[in-house]
Amino acid sequence: MMGICIASSSSILHRGSASRGLFQTGLVLLVLSLVWPGLVPANPVTTENVTARLVAERMEVAPGDTLDLALVFEIRPGWHTYWRNPGDSGDPPRIRWTLPEGVEAGPLRWPRPEVIPVGPLANYGYSERAVHLIALSVPAQWPIGEPVHIRADVDWLVCEEECIPESGRFDLTLPTGAAVGPAPIDPLQADVFAAARMGLPDGRIEGAVLGVADAGLGLVIPADGLSSEEGDGVEIGGAWFFAGEWGLIEHAAEQPWRVVDGKLRIGLSPGALADQAAPDGLLVIADALGEVRSYEVAAVRGPLPEDIARDRPIGLPLAFAFALLGGLILNLMPCVFPILAMKALSLINGLSGQGPEAARERVLHGLAYTAGVLFFFAGLAVLLLALRAGGAAVGWGFQLQYPPFVVFMAYVFFVIGLSLAGAMTIGARLMSLGGARTGSGTAGAFGTGALAALVAAPCTAPFMGAALGYAVTLSWPLALAIMLTLGFGLALPFLVLSLVPRFARLLPKPGAWMETLKQALAFPMFAAAAWLVWVLSVQTGSAGVALVLGGLVLLAFGLWLRERTRSLPSARRRWGLAATSSALVGALYLGVATDRLAAPMLSEGEQSASGLASEPYSPERLAAAREARRPVFVNMTAAWCITCLVNERVALSASDVARSFSDAGVLYLKGDWTNRDPAITAYLADHGRNGVPLYVFYPPDGDPQILPQILTEDMVLRAIRSSAPGSSG
Amino acid sequence: MKHAVQKTLVVGAVALAATLSFGVAVAAPKVGAPAPDFSVVDTAGETWTLGGLAGKKVILEWTNHDCPYVVKHYASDNMQALQKEATDAGYVWLSVISSASGKQGHVSPAQADDLTDDRGAAPTAVLLDTSGDMGRAYDAKTTPHMYVIDPEGTLVYMGGIDDKPTTDQADIAGASNYVRLAMADLAAGNPVGTPVTRPYGCSVKY
Repeated sequence: MMGICIASSSSILHRGSASRGLFQTGLVLLVLSLVWPGLVPANPVTTENVTARLVAERMEVAPGDTLDLALVFEIRPGWHTYWRNPGDSGDPPRIRWTLPEGVEAGPLRWPRPEVIPVGPLANYGYSERAVHLIALSVPAQWPIGEPVHIRADVDWLVCEEECIPESGRFDLTLPTGAAVGPAPIDPLQADVFAAARMGLPDGRIEGAVLGVADAGLGLVIPADGLSSEEGDGVEIGGAWFFAGEWGLIEHAAEQPWRVVDGKLRIGLSPGALADQAAPDGLLVIADALGEVRSYEVAAVRGPLPEDIARDRPIGLPLAFAFALLGGLILNLMPCVFPILAMKALSLINGLSGQGPEAARERVLHGLAYTAGVLFFFAGLAVLLLALRAGGAAVGWGFQLQYPPFVVFMAYVFFVIGLSLAGAMTIGARLMSLGGARTGSGTAGAFGTGALAALVAAPCTAPFMGAALGYAVTLSWPLALAIMLTLGFGLALPFLVLSLVPRFARLLPKPGAWMETLKQALAFPMFAAAAWLVWVLSVQTGSAGVALVLGGLVLLAFGLWLRERTRSLPSARRRWGLAATSSALVGALYLGVATDRLAAPMLSEGEQSASGLASEPYSPERLAAAREARRPVFVNMTAAWCITCLVNERVALSASDVARSFSDAGVLYLKGDWTNRDPAITAYLADHGRNGVPLYVFYPPDGDPQILPQILTEDMVLRAIRSSAPGSSG
Repeated sequence: MKHAVQKTLVVGAVALAATLSFGVAVAAPKVGAPAPDFSVVDTAGETWTLGGLAGKKVILEWTNHDCPYVVKHYASDNMQALQKEATDAGYVWLSVISSASGKQGHVSPAQADDLTDDRGAAPTAVLLDTSGDMGRAYDAKTTPHMYVIDPEGTLVYMGGIDDKPTTDQADIAGASNYVRLAMADLAAGNPVGTPVTRPYGCSVKY
């Protein structure tokens, strides 16, 4: 009868149940050893949380031979044991062997683990069952017939949310036989060993590179190393990298992955010892059918290969040129245009005069306006770069991914609209429409500049994407310089208009028509506010709309009160001011409250508003379609991106486009960046961008093609046609 | 729920500034960089901030009295001895409990004081970080998880208490205690030789 001893240091063992289990186990062992006299049965150790046993694969072992043992944990549901790197907490099982002279036990082998999230942390471990194989070798000079007695003292940690260290002693006696070659397999254990081998790594991958990537670390793995036994390439449906030791990566961080040019790229978040820990680990891959394989990866540290040749940086001089050009064109985009029309009015009103006084005034205004634009762009750039340095995946227009900012913008447009329509005088100074008061004009021009920059965010002009995408890869002073160049481009037309008197003289004479135009301009502002409310509805659902509409009412009420009380005696005016302030604070509070609202799930119908049936973008879906040689059209968009929406209306909703998509079997993948989404930010970064829109067409064969940010039906049709089979293009 | 309302009120108070304070993941603390600030109440109701400890050497110890790894170091008197050694050397020793309400290790101020008395522990104070804000700011992952901060407020050590990641008290004798090593390096005016190690223990019960 084999002794079963449970280490007494384990205070958690319930002695009553343990001894009952012991008795039953002993009975079973007794029966088994009567039936198979040569069999070495398991020594189960049963605790509250696991049943552990050490078993041998074969009935006996020949001297000079090696056989596999298995340490098996049957784990209580909801509880876990751990992999060799347990992740953020936990501890792997450990064995202390007591072996006869000459007998040797190899290391514990580790089946592929799973990621076990624990709040904000993550562990690598096993649920339900963990089987660790161990090779045991018996020396050639071992006397035949003499059994091999081995003893293993095992410590393991088992956790649900709480952790319990447990231990057990396992004794195993292996008969030795003279048989040459492996002894028969123990039929009772065959399944255990077969299943255990399924979980072991399927191979080892050479040539992997770990390097610094845009958002942290990147692991690039040659995908041909992932081929199946038949030698076919594996269609990857999921991938995860388990770092071999603590400190290399943040275990709980997401791991966005994609296949580019036959290489699997995995984005990793660096751990506390990212530059010292060994760049090794286990890669677990699920194919499209859900079959899982794992590979040992020993990566080399080094620079990551470029993704796609075309995505090489555009270079510094070109980036500055593109930024300036993009800024200039931004003036014509629908976001900024109404603000500029207002600015033009103020120029005509106050500054078309003659003489040195008027000329000096004009110059001052032009400079103040430019300063306003640059000031806001600098602030935005610093924030953007700081957030990126802090590890956040953000890009152009990122502030609109934050619902309270959208609300704030809606308020701004609404108030400007009210002011233009003549419902109140507040804000007129900001927009320098008062005109007559020359002293306040400079501050007003500065405000208009800041406003123009503020409202530019939802629009992307051509050239801008490439310039900004390149900027964020540079050191911060250069990145800031490129952002400021963009701002300068935006300010340039008015600066020129102010500085060169000849241009100013070309402006029409002031007159009554200006009041009409001013009032008419209120409507683009209201339209913008209405559109922002719609953006918010996409971000937060109807609850957010309720909050912002409530906020708008409060805001209007507050401003009306202010209007009505401003000419009253001072005591009552103070009351009016207090009431107005509370209304403003209330409106802001409602706006900020939208942050708590979760994004609603978009239905398929809403996703395909442009008339084309689309699927939501995921790296997995794209990789699968590429593998299947299906053409793919990727559209990265956001509800707050006006340029994106215009493109969808103009270029993507035509019936010709829909027909051509279905004829060519194009898969239309749409990535929605309305709310923050690291996978989409990573995709944009790979294409040298940090903002939407981005359109990429993947022909069935050959390199993907990036389409312009201002899209036409013709461009889309041409791209698809050129890839169609039989076409000459 | 209460937490969410409270958060919104705080955010609402700084409405416009908050428009720019995005819900961005805080960067992980780095050795050699300023340690993250905190503002947490101790068992006596006093608020502790890192700013208030300027000029002092500080040791932070994340703890959970029911965690077997913590038990290893308290049942053996190892942690208490280290606390006395550190406070005698002029360190401020803050034991931090980041267990959320209802989770393992969560205690009332009175329970925390009883634990200190019963175990003969000698921290300067026990901080009750029930919200987990301080734990997340420090990226505290396990109990114990140790941090050493120099008088300039720079984080100089973060990681495990020693190099024997077990629950066996017998392992303490042969272990290299990283906190003690860091204290010795600081006392000698040297940079900490082993500034980052793997913290071992139970997960922090956020």
